[in-house]
Amino acid sequence: MAQFWFYVFTLVFFLFDYFILAMGLNIQYGETGILNFAYIGFVAIGAYVTGAVSLPNSVGTAQQYIFGFNLPFPFSLLAGGVAAMLLAVVVAAITLRRLRTDYLAMVLISLSLVLYDVINNYVRLFNGADGLYNVPQPMAGVLHLTSNAFVVFFACVTGVISLIMWAGMSRITRSPLGRTFRAIRDDPDVASALGKGVFRYQLTSMLIGSFYAGIGGGLIIQFGGSFNPTAWLPGETFVVFAVIIVGGVGNNVGLLMGALLVETLLIHLPAFLPDIPGHAGLIEYIDAMVIGIMLMVMLWFRPQGIIPERVRHFALPAGELLNRDGHSVEAPPETMNNAASTLSASETHEGDRA
Amino acid sequence: MMTYQDTTTPAGGDGPILRCEGITKAFGGVNAVNGATFDVPRNKITALIGPNGAGKTTVVNLLSGAMKIDSGKVQLGTTDITNMERYKIARLGLMRTFQLSRELGGLTVLENLLVAPKVQAGESLFNIFFRPRLLKREERQNLERAVEILRTYGLFDLRDNLARELSGGQKKLLEISRGVMASPSLFLLDEPMAGVNPALIDKIGGYILDMKAQGVTVLMIEHNLNVVERICDNVVVLAEGRTLATGTMSELRENKEVVTAYLGEIINAGPSH
Ligand SMILES: Nc1ncnc2c1ncn2[C@@H]1O[C@H](COP(=O)(O)OP(=O)(O)OP(=O)(O)O)[C@@H](O)[C@H]1O
Ligand SMILES: [Mg+2]
Repeated sequence: MAQFWFYVFTLVFFLFDYFILAMGLNIQYGETGILNFAYIGFVAIGAYVTGAVSLPNSVGTAQQYIFGFNLPFPFSLLAGGVAAMLLAVVVAAITLRRLRTDYLAMVLISLSLVLYDVINNYVRLFNGADGLYNVPQPMAGVLHLTSNAFVVFFACVTGVISLIMWAGMSRITRSPLGRTFRAIRDDPDVASALGKGVFRYQLTSMLIGSFYAGIGGGLIIQFGGSFNPTAWLPGETFVVFAVIIVGGVGNNVGLLMGALLVETLLIHLPAFLPDIPGHAGLIEYIDAMVIGIMLMVMLWFRPQGIIPERVRHFALPAGELLNRDGHSVEAPPETMNNAASTLSASETHEGDRA
Repeated sequence: MMTYQDTTTPAGGDGPILRCEGITKAFGGVNAVNGATFDVPRNKITALIGPNGAGKTTVVNLLSGAMKIDSGKVQLGTTDITNMERYKIARLGLMRTFQLSRELGGLTVLENLLVAPKVQAGESLFNIFFRPRLLKREERQNLERAVEILRTYGLFDLRDNLARELSGGQKKLLEISRGVMASPSLFLLDEPMAGVNPALIDKIGGYILDMKAQGVTVLMIEHNLNVVERICDNVVVLAEGRTLATGTMSELRENKEVVTAYLGEIINAGPSH
């Protein structure tokens, strides 16, 4: 029985964690149009740095790593988020100013391969191919949690963190800043002709998204206690892309749906299934195929995702419902209702109207 | 009453609002712009005319910073804007439209206007989280202005439509009204009336006269000489990347060289596209 709940809450953890990861990629790609094919690299840096700062000094241990500050949770996690943002500054400085979408994507994918090789081979950084392990479980000692209880506890912590980050992200995407991001996504030339410093906004978007990537990565190592290069093969970026494409680019609720479908049901649930006799590991391959097929089907039949981006409607100021001659202008009912409260932007789904 | 003008007009000074001195631009072997020199007088409507391929659009691209200038100098008010970054030029009050309309397709019509004010407090992360009331106030002001402009331009009923769903003529109107929302001091219009029906041509002409009345200086590329005659105060004739002549339309009609070489050709060619 305890085993069952262990599985369930592991799934719950990955659901919320990938929700966070999806929000980070979505602000970059879905809102700002930056095709960040190096995304998993930012997740990895978040994980490694979170792990390395929460471990004790590496001298005298079997592992080699930098930092080793014994930093407690959640400071260790924040360090991971900030580290991913620092990586974003470097990457943006190299790439964003000069390159347009497809070239940018190619350079980013190369950068993630370079990062992968460096971390895999430069053992003194994060213990090379073995990766970091024995990372202390946050608060497990203080709360006297068994390892099963820790899984439940930390899945809930991650849930709360993801909700807070969701609230923050909604605030950003609804703001004029989010609107400017989407203008840049739709046509960077028009945006700069309107006086928007495109690079600055793309950098801001990269920083926000990288922070989410770093936190999502940090939570993974805090949850499992270990992280090594097999956890972030460069192809993993496309799992996060699958999450946002299936769920709905540009829609935060859609992202949660995408995380549920792709990450939880398709990737992690089958990992708990027994092997098909005589075909060890086959399920994993079927899994990858199913995700690929699902991605193609979605792009073909419903490119806007399960829950599409919302069309922002604005409630107009009360006086604005009258035209110049003082006649009332026909307004959709929902606008009428909100007329008094300016700017409670109501949103409907694009798909509902199509 | 609608006000187009920002209270602060960065493109200040007295003389012409824009001076363009011998600018050149080559694409490979093609000298698209080859020493164009002209002034745009303040608070007037100036037409930029010339045959297809004369380099008119390229001039607009150079003035607005969309392309790098090979040589020559551009001055906006008292500021040298030669090869300045385009968003900085825009912030100085120079707006432009595109020959083929470029709407922000994934934004609604209303959002296309709301995004236009050049600098918004709501574009700063700090303000988003720590100064929500400032944001609300600013957004309300912008919304009121956007609604007013949309009403004027007959786009009010389309405000919640995605811009990519609009018709060609509606997109033209959207692009012009978006520029107006950005409070330009100099507005460059690249064939604002191309491909729209005659009734709409009159309407757009009216909007442009309206802008002038509100203190906006306009430089418009236009092939339809009737329109130029009716609404423009000045004309710059461009041919093969050079300024051939400048003056009022009636002055140019008396210029034999211009008439035989270019005006005739334009009239015969009719409105483009
Ligand atoms: N991006 C570019 N790359 C290469 N050549 C270009 C480019 N833009 C313009 N040209 C060339 O420069 C010349 C001038 O083009 P431009 O678009 O400025 O003409 P125009 O006066 O606006 O013509 P139209 O009235 O047809 O719009 C043309 O010969 C064109 O082929
Ligand atoms: Mg042109």
